[in-house]
Amino acid sequence: MEFHHNICPRNCYDTCSIISTTHKGVLISVEGNPDHDYTLGKLCPKALDDVKKVYSPQRIRYPMRQRGRYSGFWERISWDEALTLISEKILALKKTYESSLPLALNKYSGNFGVLHNAMEGLFTGIGATTRAIGSPCWSAGVEAQTYDFGTFFCSDPLDMAKANLIWLWGVNPAWTAVHQMPIIFDAIDRGAKVVCFDTHFSATAARAHQYVQVRPGTDGLLALGFAKVLLEENLIDPNLSCYTLGHEEFLYYLENEISLDNCSEITGVSISTIRELALEYGKTHPACIWAGFGLQRYTNGGQTLRAIDALGSLAGHLGEQGGGVQYAQFQTWRFSGAIQNPAHPFNISSNTDHPSSLTQNQKQTDRLLNINRFSEEALNCTDPPVKMLWISGRNPLSQDGNLQQWKKLINQLDLIVVNDLFHSKSSEAADLFLPITTHYEHWDLNAGYWHYWVGVNEPAILPIGESRSDIQIAWDVSAKLNELEPGSCIFPTSGDEVETLLRELGPQMLDILGLKKPEEILNAPVRANFPSTAWENRIFATPSGRYEFFSSQASNARLSPLPIFVPPLNPSIDAPLRLLTPHHYSTINSQVYASGADNPDYVLHLAPELAQRHNLAVGDRAQIWNKSGLLEVVIQPLLGISPDTVIIFQEQVEGSSPLNCLIGTPLTDMGQLILGAPGFALNETFVNLRKL
Amino acid sequence: MVKQLGFVLDVNRCLGCGACAKACQNRNQLAPSLVRRQIRKVEKFSKDHIEMFYLSTACNHCGNPECLRVCPSGAYAKRRDGIVLHLSEKCTGCKSCVASCPFGAPQINPQTNKACKCQLCYERLDRGMPPFCVQACLTGALRLKELKDIPDNKLLRLTAPAPSLRLTRPSVFYKPPSATKVSGFSFTI
Repeated sequence: MEFHHNICPRNCYDTCSIISTTHKGVLISVEGNPDHDYTLGKLCPKALDDVKKVYSPQRIRYPMRQRGRYSGFWERISWDEALTLISEKILALKKTYESSLPLALNKYSGNFGVLHNAMEGLFTGIGATTRAIGSPCWSAGVEAQTYDFGTFFCSDPLDMAKANLIWLWGVNPAWTAVHQMPIIFDAIDRGAKVVCFDTHFSATAARAHQYVQVRPGTDGLLALGFAKVLLEENLIDPNLSCYTLGHEEFLYYLENEISLDNCSEITGVSISTIRELALEYGKTHPACIWAGFGLQRYTNGGQTLRAIDALGSLAGHLGEQGGGVQYAQFQTWRFSGAIQNPAHPFNISSNTDHPSSLTQNQKQTDRLLNINRFSEEALNCTDPPVKMLWISGRNPLSQDGNLQQWKKLINQLDLIVVNDLFHSKSSEAADLFLPITTHYEHWDLNAGYWHYWVGVNEPAILPIGESRSDIQIAWDVSAKLNELEPGSCIFPTSGDEVETLLRELGPQMLDILGLKKPEEILNAPVRANFPSTAWENRIFATPSGRYEFFSSQASNARLSPLPIFVPPLNPSIDAPLRLLTPHHYSTINSQVYASGADNPDYVLHLAPELAQRHNLAVGDRAQIWNKSGLLEVVIQPLLGISPDTVIIFQEQVEGSSPLNCLIGTPLTDMGQLILGAPGFALNETFVNLRKL
Repeated sequence: MVKQLGFVLDVNRCLGCGACAKACQNRNQLAPSLVRRQIRKVEKFSKDHIEMFYLSTACNHCGNPECLRVCPSGAYAKRRDGIVLHLSEKCTGCKSCVASCPFGAPQINPQTNKACKCQLCYERLDRGMPPFCVQACLTGALRLKELKDIPDNKLLRLTAPAPSLRLTRPSVFYKPPSATKVSGFSFTI
């Protein structure tokens, strides 16, 4: 038996440290690492299927070419053929358009390991290209917290165990961050009260003392209503003037613009509940709010998070042990970025055609498209048009909005390359499929965005079939490009995965991790040496060094300098029901696991009274539709959901019509400044319902 | 000394996440049709409270096991620690146990045509390790205990209708669930 350290690379709060067991080169089991204070030796049901996933018969083991998009006629080809096809197309496009901008990369979080950024490095190595930027997930909240705190940081999740009051707001850790639940239970056992705010009675709400149903998209107003009660009841931190900026302007706004009657009517929470909860929040110390990603997926998402931050600050909960407003963090991700920005290699730098400052120039001329409106923006590119698309760590045809535009874009492309483990909605449209390794088959470096741990992923087994790691593929493409046309790509043509990952630990990361040499990370995962409580000395990273109720940065970005309530989008007569599509416990977006328990239909969850109004009972078939598309569903009533909202959890469903056929591309109010593009206001989707 | 091991589930810590069932399935390398541990959602609601919890159940290793009583070929045994063992080599696949267990624990393995069921990972227990399901539980909701250690007044027996409970004395206990107070517009209309 041999044991290896692995890290779960999924886009997930928990980023678990895994110990894998192999026997004679075969992966036989995976378990949580007991020497990791967040994983604590346990894994979620998704990771528990990893052995099946690695050896799944559905996994693609060889490079494949599709004879005709959507035909399903895939034929096995050699790596050399695949690399030649790709490289020749790249060089031909560069020649035709005298530019590398026709080449586009659409990559995100299918695997969050740092070595997967080799794809960006490869594209940078080719020249100025077209890129998807921003995030489909957390943009509005990240920017909101940056305005308020100066940077995007949260307490160590273990700090929550010290809270006497925990508000879980728009987050469902029982399904999406299971390792946080024992921490919350420990707080409960110590006497803490837990309140869950959500649009529906979730598995997390079931484990809370109180569930507060909030009308979708009105959470910001509810936070401002609570703040107003704190003001009326004189429960405001008396020291605000020592560490915050603009609290008087904010109080003036609360006094004049926020009425509890209005707040109650819009949010659906009664005035007595608002008062009761606000008093409890103002009087209990420490009190922690965990603001989830769900509540910022609206056109007002950034304002919602700023309002919740302001509530926490007003009550004096910021910087208190076990308190604060927790969202996520990016401070443990300060890698050197060497992989994305390849230096000019020695052998090519002598070539006078390629000045050594090429990387800098390329950076300035890359064509940056919002990942959430990629297809629309790519179609608008005409000089030169986008002609080749590489999809990596993403499944846009299952997750993006506006599928009609995607279809148009696909029609104009000469070549679509997908690298993945399994076929997906997106590979149905691809010309080439490159099989990649799982995190049990390659080296990598991973950090959490919730806890503070960083660690190395060691290969436990040899690659399955002819699969290759993303970085190996990037090296191979560069090698082929340079073989066909020397000097055509400055990305390295070969390398060593371990050396490459060690170069990502620059002086700043070594300092954060308390390491003397990068090699020390190879022994075991390391927790960054940040204090457990974010903002504990109440010195913030904002321009003023204070918590900013009044943000000039927001003002400069043409947003309100104060957190305010902006209503979410309204349903129309044609589409009167809001459709929410949160994560299911068995999946992360469309990522395939080997459970084999695919459902034949999407399940539409709705309030019993709405079902009754449409004469629908459990198991009945119905249709939901809007101007984007139409979907057949099976009915399942759900408790604690409002009758103007319906929910489909993102389960794996067999069948042709994907859930995102109903989704447009509404954008969040924030995200541009910090992530380069606004986020995806996914929860602003509306549908109509009829019985079949 | 004779004792009785049994599962104790704290439903207030159970997320219904299914890690226990998944670990059982994967680590015992069971065919997809063989399910030794199941999770059932229970919901009750009143005007301002919802009680929602999950019951994770497997073989209850009964004090008075019906499978052992009905098996014509002596393919069941009860160990001194209370584990009810199915002995595959003696099983003829007659399905008496499958038909008589009030909890549906024994199933026919399609590959062997013999019965099979949760053996409480006895080989692991004998080496001082917890069963896979208990080891996988993320919140400590599912535990294996020697049942005489537990004060009876703190636990509920919830698994099946009362007559079979009295007859077979399942060795499984649940901590009583607590309800969530609910507020919001659906509840005030």
